[in-house]
Amino acid sequence: MSNRSITVNRGIQQEKMQIIYQATMDVLPLAIAVIPWGILCGSLAIKVGLSPLQAQLMSLLVFAGAAQLASLTLMGGALTSIFTSTFVISSRHLLYSAVFREHVKKSSFLMRCCIAFFLTDEMFAVTCAYLEKNKLFSHCYALTAGVVFYLVWNFSTFAGIHIGQFIPNIENMGLEFAIAATFIAIVIPSIKNKSTLLSVVVSGVSVLIFSILGCEYALILATLIGMLSGFLVEMLCVKTVEEFVNE
Amino acid sequence: MNNDNYWIILLGMSCITFSCRYLFLSKQLPFELGTKAKSILSYTAPSVLTAMWVPIVFLSESNIEQSFFTNPFLIAGLVCVFLSLKLKNTFLIVVLSMSIFLILRLI
Repeated sequence: MSNRSITVNRGIQQEKMQIIYQATMDVLPLAIAVIPWGILCGSLAIKVGLSPLQAQLMSLLVFAGAAQLASLTLMGGALTSIFTSTFVISSRHLLYSAVFREHVKKSSFLMRCCIAFFLTDEMFAVTCAYLEKNKLFSHCYALTAGVVFYLVWNFSTFAGIHIGQFIPNIENMGLEFAIAATFIAIVIPSIKNKSTLLSVVVSGVSVLIFSILGCEYALILATLIGMLSGFLVEMLCVKTVEEFVNE
Repeated sequence: MNNDNYWIILLGMSCITFSCRYLFLSKQLPFELGTKAKSILSYTAPSVLTAMWVPIVFLSESNIEQSFFTNPFLIAGLVCVFLSLKLKNTFLIVVLSMSIFLILRLI
């Protein structure tokens, strides 16, 4: 009996190790791609007058690349403008937490706090891809992806703070292409029906229009418009099918 | 910069980012997602990820003088879309398109 439970335990542990390995590999290209931005965040923070401790704490506690960079360029300005920009940039995370809600609603308070703390674009992207592939939400997968990303982000901030002045401008190297490539590789295979295709096309076209117009809210607006158009087409299709059945 | 101000910024930003990430995971918010809400939310990942990759592929400027159509971001991005239709392995797709991107950059 005890032998069997040991074997079962070992099996579970092996499965966990496999999930941890998988999550690490999946998030790695994304984590590598943000290294230049982490370095930039660190060195910019020093340039605008933060102490090394303050600069590091920003990455340790706020842990949101785009919001950090925006706030650093606004430093010295009004507090309200920094907080407004942080909120606008972070608003998409509201959507992510809504998506994850049904999967973690039975989890403990601590678990939900951890998932929330590590919830970034990158963690959301790979976790959604895993969810779609396995039809199963894995807390272990989500947390591993989040923690790996967190470590890389903080080590690169650390590098930016301490040796930033010796590192040439690697943000011009185009490493962000790895982010685009990973997101493409996640999005394209997930297009399995017309409504998803439409939401992708509409979101892509609208983000281009908003960005060219210089709209600050381009990302979140395009996302909402894309989601809504996918949903509307889905509703219309369902309606046509219902009418067809009724006739 | 005023030091007190900085600590307020740090605290404020931490609270804002964490609240946005935590809000709908909270059990204090007593609601169940209806089928319509779930169905809208199912388009979150494709929409938001597209809204992030499209500007990188179509609006990135390379440091060398290049026209829109010979931009490595655009070419490698489109190759990546094509590869994603053909291949199943995400990691392989990323490595292949990244290599194409780097080669185009060096030319």
